[in-house]
Amino acid sequence: MSNLKIALINGSPKGKSSVSGFILDELKSYFDQQIITEFPFHASHSITTAELEALAVQDILVFAFPLYVDGIPSHLLRSLVKIENYFNGDPPELKVYAVVNAGFFEGKQTKNALDMMRRWSEASGVKWGQGIGIGGGGMLTSLRNVQNGKGPRKDPSLVLRALAKNATEGKSTGNIFVSPNFPRFLYKIAAELGWRLRIRQNGLHQKDLFTQK
Amino acid sequence: MKLIIHDLTPEQEIEVLLPKQDTCVISDDGSIKPCIGCFGCWIKTPGQCVIRDNYGNMGETLSKCDELILISRCTYGGFSPFVKNVLDRSISYIHPFFIIKNGEMHHRLRYNRHLNMSVYFYSSGLTEQDRTIAKSLVKANAINLHGIVTEVLFEENAKAFGGRIK
Repeated sequence: MSNLKIALINGSPKGKSSVSGFILDELKSYFDQQIITEFPFHASHSITTAELEALAVQDILVFAFPLYVDGIPSHLLRSLVKIENYFNGDPPELKVYAVVNAGFFEGKQTKNALDMMRRWSEASGVKWGQGIGIGGGGMLTSLRNVQNGKGPRKDPSLVLRALAKNATEGKSTGNIFVSPNFPRFLYKIAAELGWRLRIRQNGLHQKDLFTQK
Repeated sequence: MKLIIHDLTPEQEIEVLLPKQDTCVISDDGSIKPCIGCFGCWIKTPGQCVIRDNYGNMGETLSKCDELILISRCTYGGFSPFVKNVLDRSISYIHPFFIIKNGEMHHRLRYNRHLNMSVYFYSSGLTEQDRTIAKSLVKANAINLHGIVTEVLFEENAKAFGGRIK
């Protein structure tokens, strides 16, 4: 549907280079005639009345955020409570979709966070569309040079494309969980090497990763 | 040591918690900052959050406790923003490296410590769905924090837990 108003809400605490931003960039490429508005809800952000008003006139809200301690990052949760309070009583006619990325390899570990987003939609009086859980989030941003839908990005791209289609058609359907098309043991090894490298870049030693206070 | 993290007001705290020895209580003093996703607690100041507010040593505090008690308003089937904020700021308790546990990827332990976890959720109008999500969430938290769930209880208001939190 053209002229559909879609809000892409980036709930990563990080202002730049976030996996959620990477996911939303890809998702944006699957929309065509729709009117896209981006809402960066990062850690330092406090939601404004203007943003609440702008969200209420959308047809579709798409939240993207990282899995934090099995749930929604607290800074985003604070905004969700404010949005619920704003919507409550006179809820707008809109539908909510969410994409949660996890550092763990298995996308299904995002299930609790997506269930909470669905519960938030109900509490806010708006309709739930669909949730997508993507595992292996730690490697996605390193795949910028891999074409959408190719190699390790095959399944993540497939589900993002499906979400874009469902959102455009206003369809409510079940959650989908995926992992990158990449061996889990290699992801685990690569993550470990990455932490060893990053701590050395900070002038510390690899053994410092194991510091106990 | 017993660690209690709660979102109660000072008045509710008096009604609900009995003063006990060897107990650390973390409550909302209004100063907590959100986690900024920098992983500094793993690779810049390992074991400690880089944000130096009153909640920057949560990983170390957890490492000294054997019993974790969470008292929280049930919010969409999960924790309230404050309690969740404290948990988000506690990830230095675990190690960045992964292990495979029950066929799933999780973080390995930083400390050789296993927590007993009790969670007390309160909220008016709790639904069956809230309870189901909350129980599933606490189970997942326990796996990731290498803990054991002792109990998960629900009440319509915090006061109903008065004298029951041991």
